[in-house]
Amino acid sequence: MKQAVAVFMILQMLPWQTASADMADAVKSPKGYGSKGYVWGKLLPEQVEVLKLNGDAVRGKEAFRGCRGCHRPDAAGVTDGTYPRLTGQHASVVIKQVTEVRAGVRVNPKMDPFSAEHAVSTQEIADIAVFLASAETTRENGKGDGDYQAKGKALYEKGRCSDCHGRRGEGNENKAYPAIAAQHYGYLKREMDYIQNGVRGNSHPDMVKAIKHYTHRDIEAMADYLSRLSDYRQSGAERNAE
Amino acid sequence: MRLTLHGIRGSWLAGVALLVPGMLLSPVITLAQTVPIAERLLLCGGCHNSDGNSAIPENPNLSGLDAEYIHRQLQDFRNGARKSPVMSGIIPLVDEKEFEALAAFFSKQKPKPGGAVDAKLAAQGKEIYDEGIVGSAVPACSGCHNDDGSGTEKYPRIASQHAAYVVQQLTNFKSGERANDVRAVMRAVAKRMNEKEIRAVAEYVVTLKGAQE
Repeated sequence: MKQAVAVFMILQMLPWQTASADMADAVKSPKGYGSKGYVWGKLLPEQVEVLKLNGDAVRGKEAFRGCRGCHRPDAAGVTDGTYPRLTGQHASVVIKQVTEVRAGVRVNPKMDPFSAEHAVSTQEIADIAVFLASAETTRENGKGDGDYQAKGKALYEKGRCSDCHGRRGEGNENKAYPAIAAQHYGYLKREMDYIQNGVRGNSHPDMVKAIKHYTHRDIEAMADYLSRLSDYRQSGAERNAE
Repeated sequence: MRLTLHGIRGSWLAGVALLVPGMLLSPVITLAQTVPIAERLLLCGGCHNSDGNSAIPENPNLSGLDAEYIHRQLQDFRNGARKSPVMSGIIPLVDEKEFEALAAFFSKQKPKPGGAVDAKLAAQGKEIYDEGIVGSAVPACSGCHNDDGSGTEKYPRIASQHAAYVVQQLTNFKSGERANDVRAVMRAVAKRMNEKEIRAVAEYVVTLKGAQE
């Protein structure tokens, strides 16, 4: 009996447990990826509405109050990756994610009550999105240990991730592909795991396909690499100076 | 019996309530009269003190709260959206027309600073208040209520509020007994907290000073 307990404890300490612990609270979205009729990027009625509105960064900063309890007052998230960094994220991406969380396409129980209609109005989503896109990042993001950067870079390039997310991890505002450079390591790793396992409800099918054959180690390496890229908004000279 | 504390009208109404319990609500509402605020304070002040700084930690301080927030609470007590064994007895005595003036009056009163009894617990509460509890997805209280507890247009002031009252309200939000949080946000947060965390946060909230003028 004692031996069994000891073995169990050792098993718990193995690295692969990290991934499965994260996966434990993740569920497939009944309306999202893998469900019948799911089409990535097909506009929800509310998204049509938001896109007609003009966002205002000053109002957005005020509306962001309801978000900052988790994403922190500087919107840079929590370093361990529990909550992502939002500064510099494209407005289109913020709009897509918030509206899809509240529509239940992306299942996110932690965020759910705070992104519901009664907490954030449609106009406020537009405002918050504009505010975040222009928000400065003043705090270091959570980074991987740096050991697998080169491997991560090679995998990122070989997998043609940059076709969508850009060579500098800058994403694409027009297509609502997220900027992923300088995101927290823990968050990048978790979301890649979710996408691979089909439980990030609003995954792009091509993204699921692209990441399918990577091992968990590969994902860690890419997260390491991406977390160590600089904010895509920095100029080339600033990046070189680092 | 509590009603007798608040004058003849109160005790008479209590008598009505005892005699015809089925008719409680309608006669009371029709009998509620608008009275000058000084007279009304005899009623409210019994529990909340006439300056809105209640001496009894179970009863909330009203001083310095946003007028709109107080007004909404009064309306919610009236229409049953917020329940309280005490306020349900009191609110029928007050004319709805007085709500605005009462809210404005208490809103203008100067809050009295509070102090923590248990400094160690308050320190644990500060941690939760400022940083949240990442593991159980409890957001930082400061996100909405501000670092100093002064609140905002959308979220009420909580600085220097009695710890016993804060514990009770968080417990009620957690159980769903209090469900008049417009955004259902407070219920979501309180559900993620355990009893010890609630006590710690309350012990810290009472020490907050709010915006210094």
